[in-house]
Amino acid sequence: MPVMETKNFGEISFEADSELEFPGGLPGFDSRRRFVAVRFVESDPIIYLQSLEDPALCFITMPILAVDPNYKLKVKAEDLGQLGLAPARQPRIGEDVLCLTVLSLCETEPTANLLAPIVVNLRNRRAVQAVAPESEYSHQHALMPEEASVCS
Amino acid sequence: MLVMSRRQGETILIGDEIEIVIAHVGRSRVKVGIRAPRQMQVVAREIKLVSEENRRAAGASASGLSNLIGRLRPQASCAQERGITEEASAIRKKIPGSS
Repeated sequence: MPVMETKNFGEISFEADSELEFPGGLPGFDSRRRFVAVRFVESDPIIYLQSLEDPALCFITMPILAVDPNYKLKVKAEDLGQLGLAPARQPRIGEDVLCLTVLSLCETEPTANLLAPIVVNLRNRRAVQAVAPESEYSHQHALMPEEASVCS
Repeated sequence: MLVMSRRQGETILIGDEIEIVIAHVGRSRVKVGIRAPRQMQVVAREIKLVSEENRRAAGASASGLSNLIGRLRPQASCAQERGITEEASAIRKKIPGSS
C-alpha cells in the first residue's frame, strides 16, 4: 500500500484506488493534479482531499448531498470532456460521479462552496472542480448549525 | 457602467492595449475575443471567485483540521483510510430511488 507524507495527519498509507487525478488542477492551485480522498470513521461524512504533491495542502470536503439533498449538478461540456464522460448527458451523483463540496471551516462561519463542486468520475478517478457558469448556488453557502459544530 | 451596443464582428478598444471582439452572438451566449498584453490576467469572474474561495478553504483547513484532529487523536490508532469506491457506495445508499 503506498504511503504519503501529510502535514496534518503525519504519514498515512492509502489505497491506490483512492488516488484522484485533476487533469487541469483546481482554480488557484493549477499545478496540483494528484490528490487522495481520505476518510476517517470519526469525522464521517467529511472527506479530506490531500494533495500528493504538497503535504501541507488539504481540502476538507463533504458529499454535496449531505449539505443540500436536492443539489442539481450541472457540468459544462468541457469539464465532462476532462472527466472522460459523454457530453450529451449530465452525470448522476452516486451513479456516475462522486460530488463533493469544499468546506471553508472556522474564522467566522463555516461555509460550503456549492458553486464549484468537485466532481469525480468513479470509473477512471479523474476529477474536476466544475465551476457552474449560470448557477443560483453560492460559493459561500452557510452550513447548518449542526454541521457548523465541526468547527468548534 | 458604460454600456455599448455592438454587432457580431465589431470591436471595442480599452486604452491602447486591450481589444475586445464580439466574435459570435448566439441565442443565449456571446463569444468574446480578447486581445491583451500577456502579463494581464484574463479570467471569467466565477473562476476568480472559486480561486479565492479555494485559497480561503485551504488556509482555513489548517486551523479547521487541527481542531478536528484534536478531537480525533484519542482514536487515531483506529483511524482508517478507505477507498473511494466505498465512498461511492455509501453515497449510493443515501440516494433513494437511484438505480
